[in-house]
Amino acid sequence: MDSGYLKNKRILIVDDEPEILNMVVSILDAEGFISIETAASVKDALNLAASFQPELAILDVMLPDGDGFFLMEQLRKTGGYPVLFLTACGEDKDKFKGFGIGADDYMVKPFLPKELVFRIMAILRRSYKDENPLVKLKDSEINFDCAEVVKNGVHIALTAKEYDILAALYRNAGRIVTIDSLCEAAWGENPFGYENSLMAHIRRIREKIELNPSRPVSLITVKGLGYKLVTLDSQ
Amino acid sequence: MKSVPKLIRHFANILLLSSVLVIALNILLSGIFLSRQKAGGQPWTMADETAKALKYTKNGYILPEKNTSQLEKYNVWAIYIDNSTMETAWHTDNLPETIPSSYTVSDIASLTRGYIDGYPAFTSGCKDGLVVLGFPKKSFWKHIYPCWDYDFIANLPKTILKWILANILLLLVIYITANIQLLKSVRPITNGIKELPEGAPVYIKEKGLFSELAININKTSEILQSQKYQLHKKETARANWIAGVSHDIRTPLSIVMGYAGQLKEDPGLSPLAHNKASVIVKQSRRIKNLVNDLNLASKLEYNMQPLNLARQNLVAIARQVVVDFINMDINDKYPVEWKTDEKLTTCIVNVDKELLKRAINNLIQNSINHNEEGCTIYVNVMAEGNICSVEVSDNGTGAKDSEIERLNNAPHYMVCDKNTTEQRHGLGLLIVKQIAAAHGGTINIGHSSSGGFMVKFTLPLPEGKPVL
Repeated sequence: MDSGYLKNKRILIVDDEPEILNMVVSILDAEGFISIETAASVKDALNLAASFQPELAILDVMLPDGDGFFLMEQLRKTGGYPVLFLTACGEDKDKFKGFGIGADDYMVKPFLPKELVFRIMAILRRSYKDENPLVKLKDSEINFDCAEVVKNGVHIALTAKEYDILAALYRNAGRIVTIDSLCEAAWGENPFGYENSLMAHIRRIREKIELNPSRPVSLITVKGLGYKLVTLDSQ
Repeated sequence: MKSVPKLIRHFANILLLSSVLVIALNILLSGIFLSRQKAGGQPWTMADETAKALKYTKNGYILPEKNTSQLEKYNVWAIYIDNSTMETAWHTDNLPETIPSSYTVSDIASLTRGYIDGYPAFTSGCKDGLVVLGFPKKSFWKHIYPCWDYDFIANLPKTILKWILANILLLLVIYITANIQLLKSVRPITNGIKELPEGAPVYIKEKGLFSELAININKTSEILQSQKYQLHKKETARANWIAGVSHDIRTPLSIVMGYAGQLKEDPGLSPLAHNKASVIVKQSRRIKNLVNDLNLASKLEYNMQPLNLARQNLVAIARQVVVDFINMDINDKYPVEWKTDEKLTTCIVNVDKELLKRAINNLIQNSINHNEEGCTIYVNVMAEGNICSVEVSDNGTGAKDSEIERLNNAPHYMVCDKNTTEQRHGLGLLIVKQIAAAHGGTINIGHSSSGGFMVKFTLPLPEGKPVL
């Protein structure tokens, strides 16, 4: 399991509803996460964070002694770890506020366990990808730290755009990423008219990661929609 | 208000017409009156008749009986002054003693113009002398001094016309001045009445001619404002209530969904228990969708959902929704096929991205909800002329014509103000309709060419711009 190291990350869950805490813990437990702590208030969370040193915080917005946005700002003062909001506040303005102050994701209750796990994994992959330089594919390995691909023992360098595209695909490994999201990852916001450039880059990435680029097995095309990176871990 | 000057014009016309009529009537009346007056001609006529009738005979001058009796009837005396002697050659019997018997030329001129000893005198010349009639004192007022410039008399018709015009002009000036004053006090009232239906608060100063009207308009405005406020308050309360309920359902539902989801994946359970867990997961997802929809539908209905409009690529939005579905559908029971023409990569619209994603999401979810056995869903983004559309269709069971007719035209029960016993449907399509309406677009529900259900969501392109 190349993402096994992500399951060792210390996760702090803050919610005033004990049943939710129990349930989230049981979901993460079942997924193999081994270091989980919970708190039911801002005060407890701050005390716990000082000793526990979490590497990911899952926060509710409405807490008995303050709100999750305030808590996040306090937690960020001591560590730059990622934060996921898991809340019943589904209003756009709450969502925008959460993202506005720098949250990594915002999930509205109710949710399916799989969705929660997926989002946590995506955040962890994005935040701690440097710790795991090797992403194993069927025919090769990607080393994000060195921005290179190792195929048959040969090191092939990735260009900046190829790196951006692969990183976006890896964050959502096993899932389709739309053409538009990939263009945005490579060329910034409102990337209109880059579809052909993207195809050219995808072709070059395939030449680097696939044994047979015309019959790709790791970087799959989903016609008209986007691409999917199949890692050994995501299969 | 346009009708006020119109009203004034109307009354000015009436005034003008009535002035002309009044003047014409006066002229007519004075004509009739003066014609009956004989204009003081009677004594002169009598003098002429007497002069004509007076005859010289051997026995001196004789006036026929007829004339004598006429003179007596009016108590008039008469003398005849001979041209050669300038003396009275004849007189009636009733000649007062104070009347002189001889005259000078200046006496004649004086009596012709005026009186003899207080008796109004009227003269008439005859062959050899002058007949003078003396009417009783104070029977006539003689006024033969005035004389007129010839031009004055020659221009009299023009002068009269000018005089009439001046009169009319004066009347108009008085009328317009009075009306301007009136208009000044009417204008705030008419403006107030005009603003009332626009719903803005109206206040008119309660003074002047129409203070009572102003008070009533102010009261009406107050009542309207208070009703508007009450209605808004009620709507806000209702939307808040729905938002509160949907918020409170989320936490317990999370626990149900979370544990059911775990049970569904638990390898230690029997297939039967797995099935049961799947049903719980499915049903709790339905509740979740309903809770989300209920909240959004009520906000859209009461205009409490702010629209965050921005230039967006409709193709990218639809693509993201489709990909999210494909990524979530683990069993592949509902494959989603992207049917958009490959050449159409960009279609810029001015929309709220989140709402539009929600609309397309609801359309796909709608196909899933109505096809228990699974179906293929097709999504096609099209741009034709100055509109673009997203068509979501499926090859599932579809709907009857009557049902499609009803979905297209009948109001949803949630926004219907009548009691309804019809079978109730979810809010998914209602929200799509509301979102389309909020963006100035429409939806059209029909049969899919693949045999199932079809919904086409149409949006106008900003300023009718063609697709890039």
